[in-house]
Amino acid sequence: MKDIYELLNDMDIDESEFEEMEVSEWEKAKVTSVVKASIHRRKRNWTRIAAAAVLTAGLSAVMLGITFPAYANNIPVIDNIFRLLDSGKSGLFDHYKEYSSDINLTEESNGITFTINDAVFDGETVFITYSLVSNQDLGIKPVVHGLLDIKGTDGVAGGNQISKVGPNKYAGLITGTGFSNVKDKKTASVKWSIDSLVNPNNKQEITGNWDFALKVMATDSSTQTIDRSIQHNGAVVHIHKITFTPMSFILYYDQTVDQQVRSQWDAVDVGIKIKDDLGNHYTGQGNGGAGDKEGYNMNWSKTFEKLEPKATKLIITPQLSLYNHTSDNHGSVEMSRDGADEQIPLQREQGNEREEIELEDIIVELKK
Amino acid sequence: MRSNEGNFIRRLQRQKEDALEFIIDTYLPLIKGVTYKVLSPLGNDGIIEECINDIFLSIWHHADKFNGETADFRKWICAIAKFKAIDYYRKASKKMEFTAADVREARHGMSAEDELIMREDKRELVHFINLLEPVDRNIFVMKFFLGLNTEDICRKLGLTRASVDNRIYRGKKRLFNKVNSGGHV
Repeated sequence: MKDIYELLNDMDIDESEFEEMEVSEWEKAKVTSVVKASIHRRKRNWTRIAAAAVLTAGLSAVMLGITFPAYANNIPVIDNIFRLLDSGKSGLFDHYKEYSSDINLTEESNGITFTINDAVFDGETVFITYSLVSNQDLGIKPVVHGLLDIKGTDGVAGGNQISKVGPNKYAGLITGTGFSNVKDKKTASVKWSIDSLVNPNNKQEITGNWDFALKVMATDSSTQTIDRSIQHNGAVVHIHKITFTPMSFILYYDQTVDQQVRSQWDAVDVGIKIKDDLGNHYTGQGNGGAGDKEGYNMNWSKTFEKLEPKATKLIITPQLSLYNHTSDNHGSVEMSRDGADEQIPLQREQGNEREEIELEDIIVELKK
Repeated sequence: MRSNEGNFIRRLQRQKEDALEFIIDTYLPLIKGVTYKVLSPLGNDGIIEECINDIFLSIWHHADKFNGETADFRKWICAIAKFKAIDYYRKASKKMEFTAADVREARHGMSAEDELIMREDKRELVHFINLLEPVDRNIFVMKFFLGLNTEDICRKLGLTRASVDNRIYRGKKRLFNKVNSGGHV
């Protein structure tokens, strides 16, 4: 016997009868999250693994290169809320979902419920999706005050993106890349302590305690050493290695800048563009970097989309950016554990200059 | 692996969630169109939203019943959308007639068989439709699940109005016997 769905399958419907209607990304995200929630009725057991407190004296967040050009189509569970955050749709996070784990840790404080939904660690960067439900409106993009710590690192760089997804409901993605010489690439023990939320509309601050501790296992990966350098007038870019994970690849590179360049420019940084021999372009997202205090000699990493399996070569184009600081383009704040934020005054002021130089391509044969 | 135009049906049938995302992404504008057309007279956006979610959930749960290519899939989900939307409309409006045209057909009477048709639990009706010969089966699905009016059914099947009316009448009579006597059809 045929059921309704089979009977309907036999029908030859006249499609011209139907008209498409405009649908926003927002609506798609909403439908997907509701339908998925109905599918996921199974309960999960969650063990909370408390990570030892990590105390780093100074937390230096290097935010260069973090612009969040694109957000995930596919970051877990509330993935379509991430599609909502993805304006550029580069597909950087297309494959993250398959390799992430569900976390579902919830903390409630002062009328606001914070939930960590999912997490994935690629050996370099931890990606954590979260949602929050509030008893009051927190504006369009509330500011979440709280530092992400990764055990055993000297500092964490990262970004946080949040968006309103319904009345008093928000969803976001926080990323953190730890910096350390002896880093654990297999697991990331993450602590995230949120102490306040600020509504940007009326500057109202809601304090509370939302403390999370979780451990995320890294996805499988393989590394190919590159060790190639390219030089331009006293600035050297060194491509160190590439790590391939099932959902991405990460390029590690560093820059060194000599005294002559330093005397001319306040800041130097290196951007990377990559394409493969099949013509695919990889957009990527910088993970920040760590280095000397002046920021001239730096170690960087940048995460790119999943490598096209048929590609045999990667064409890496480093891009040198040289800047002089002005009050328009520069400013920094030092954050420390005791909570005092100190504005660092601008040291010197020169002309509003900036120069970008594209360096020669570095072509890498991929080992298979 | 991600779903694309070429593999999403297979992935949906294997219950891969990225296929669900793919169909929502691809077909939501169409499904919304179908649902709005039926349900907008109710003036209740909540019902429309609920219905759309229900449609995708049904597609997910019954994906294995689908047989065909991408173009057929599009038709299939339109049919499901229309069927669901009409079902929601009936429940919401508590009206017994589906379209204005049905009022004219009231001479068939709203009786035990109509109640069976309106029932939320469609099992009996589906069982009954399965017993009909193919042409009548199509007429019944179009009429009672897809809310097509008699003129449209005539046009689609190349039958005269009298013939379609007659088939509906006879079908309903069989249904009536089934409902009332509990006996054979």
